[in-house]
Amino acid sequence: MTQQVLLEVNELSCHFDVSKPWLNRMIEREPQRFLTAVDQVSFSVNRGETFALVGESGSGKSTIAKLIVDLIHPSSGDIRFDGQSLPNTRGEAFKTLRRRIQMIFQDPFASLNPRWRVGDIIAEPIHAFGLAKSQVEVTRTVEELLDKVGLAGRDRHKYPHEFSGGQRQRIAIARALSAQPDFLVCDEPTSALDVSVQAQILNLMRDLQDEFGLTYLFISHDLSVVKHMADRIGVLYLGSMVENSPSDQLFKQPAHPYTRMLLDAIPDHEMSGRRRKQVTGEIPSPIDPPSGCTFHPRCEFANAKCKQQRPAVHETQGSLVSCWASEEGRIATITG
Amino acid sequence: MTQALLSVRDLVVEFPKRKTRLTALDKVSFDIHPGEILGMVGESGAGKSLTGAAIIGLLEPPGHIASGEIWLKDQRIDQLPYDQMRRLRGKRIAMIFQDPLTSLNPILTIANQLIETIQTHLPLNDKEARARAIQLLDEVGIPAASKRIDDYPHQFSGGMRQRVVIALALAGEPELIIADEPTTALDVSVQAQIIDVLKRMCHVHKTAVMLVTHDMGVIAEACDRVAVMYAGRIAEIGEVRQIVKQPQHPYTQGLMGSIPSITERVERLTQIPGSMPRLDAIPTGCAFNPRCTQKIDRCTEDRPDLIATDQGQVSCWLYEGDKP
Repeated sequence: MTQQVLLEVNELSCHFDVSKPWLNRMIEREPQRFLTAVDQVSFSVNRGETFALVGESGSGKSTIAKLIVDLIHPSSGDIRFDGQSLPNTRGEAFKTLRRRIQMIFQDPFASLNPRWRVGDIIAEPIHAFGLAKSQVEVTRTVEELLDKVGLAGRDRHKYPHEFSGGQRQRIAIARALSAQPDFLVCDEPTSALDVSVQAQILNLMRDLQDEFGLTYLFISHDLSVVKHMADRIGVLYLGSMVENSPSDQLFKQPAHPYTRMLLDAIPDHEMSGRRRKQVTGEIPSPIDPPSGCTFHPRCEFANAKCKQQRPAVHETQGSLVSCWASEEGRIATITG
Repeated sequence: MTQALLSVRDLVVEFPKRKTRLTALDKVSFDIHPGEILGMVGESGAGKSLTGAAIIGLLEPPGHIASGEIWLKDQRIDQLPYDQMRRLRGKRIAMIFQDPLTSLNPILTIANQLIETIQTHLPLNDKEARARAIQLLDEVGIPAASKRIDDYPHQFSGGMRQRVVIALALAGEPELIIADEPTTALDVSVQAQIIDVLKRMCHVHKTAVMLVTHDMGVIAEACDRVAVMYAGRIAEIGEVRQIVKQPQHPYTQGLMGSIPSITERVERLTQIPGSMPRLDAIPTGCAFNPRCTQKIDRCTEDRPDLIATDQGQVSCWLYEGDKP
């Protein structure tokens, strides 16, 4: 039997140095300054599951995606994929491991090389990882993949500019699949698309998940998309994971005050008369985050403890929550 | 019913090409009443923003109004000379753009930009104009407005910048504001705040708004009526509740079904097959007919006009004969 957990992220942190140049610092006597983009985030993703990360701009969603595909190196913490540590593996072993993790980017106009034919774009991972023995086999695989994502095999002769946004995103998906991955990191894959096209892409992604047994890390700022796709959801705020719950649980009984606020902010497009509370404030600067719980300046349940001490993760009804108010039972639970 | 504030009649906007012409807007007609928020919804390239640009006279050449009329109360504004149109812009019709960073001048303080706009349209001296500017910033919910007025745009966050842009739009006390995707560049939590400010301002100042967006959520939150656009034509227009709850046009039905719901979970989203036609390949008859699941013979031959039903107006042959 294979292991249940495919990806495990342990106390992952990522700091960026945003100091002034060395000479300026010496003259102006200023210390180095760091921006904490990801702050001790832990979560795990089970095989065949979709784990979603949500949060506002600047909450660290995309940084986590880049850390997982090793586009940037973590400052501390560990990422274990199928039992092996990603940041500590190098060389040939890393290449084998890395093939199994592929990424789909947000903007399909920027993620495809405009000078390459679609067939070459999709064939590149096949060549890079040596997955085919002959050119004939490469061509056949490319055509199969194009067919899988709802395009025609002969489209491989075209250039990216001949396709619409939705079709380009299909090409990006085909390219990701050509490496035969187990795990796809999808960074806002539909936010550049119109809703009717978004529906097509989301349906396609679910079909492919069933067919290939893929595991997704799905990053989005759109909670209704996340609800449609995810089994488990992690809510990020200023680089910390404030809540990690099964999807149904999160929408029924959001435990963290920030999650509640996010849910209240979703426009009610069905005009169901859902009760909502006015959202206040904006996400603070990650260079100089608030003390204690970083959400306390916007939180209605905050008290002196929240301002001083960083909340630890505790578990309630299957959710992992970092909130003093929730832990001490200061929040009346809401249902419905 | 009161007289319409803005009345658009059979508006056609064309872009000449070397041999042919692209018809970007094809016989668009609608009214906006004083104090009303009309939503314009549709996918990219449907002609939403272009309708706004045509009304305020900011069509990029070689695009031009080929036929049709635009009336602002009793004045016809589609043929005004440049100079008169310039005086009308900002004073009677104001505009809010999508990206609050590019619509503010980065090297002038907020005070400079607001006071300049106020003095262009209203006969106030420097001191009065400054007081008015602070009052406007206060109204749109900028904390400590009298201190922040001397800040530069980069010192504000995205949401705050968009509030400044709304204050700028309100500066000339316009009768109509055209808001082109005002919340698209913002986070959901900030979006909710901005919609709220926009709604409140319209209510207080009795300003009419044409809200252009691709987000049905924003429409449902903010608007009184909504026009659904498809391939440069209006597919359906009516009360927002009607369109959201009981869309009539097959395109609107597909559009509503393709939005993931947060209240219930469905296995598959409804998807409209294909994509919107390019402007040089709009099919004859109803523009939606190749993607429509309820197509009848007539749809491929005749183009439907807006047909009045008891729920609004819809341009679809299925509702022919349903006239009340």
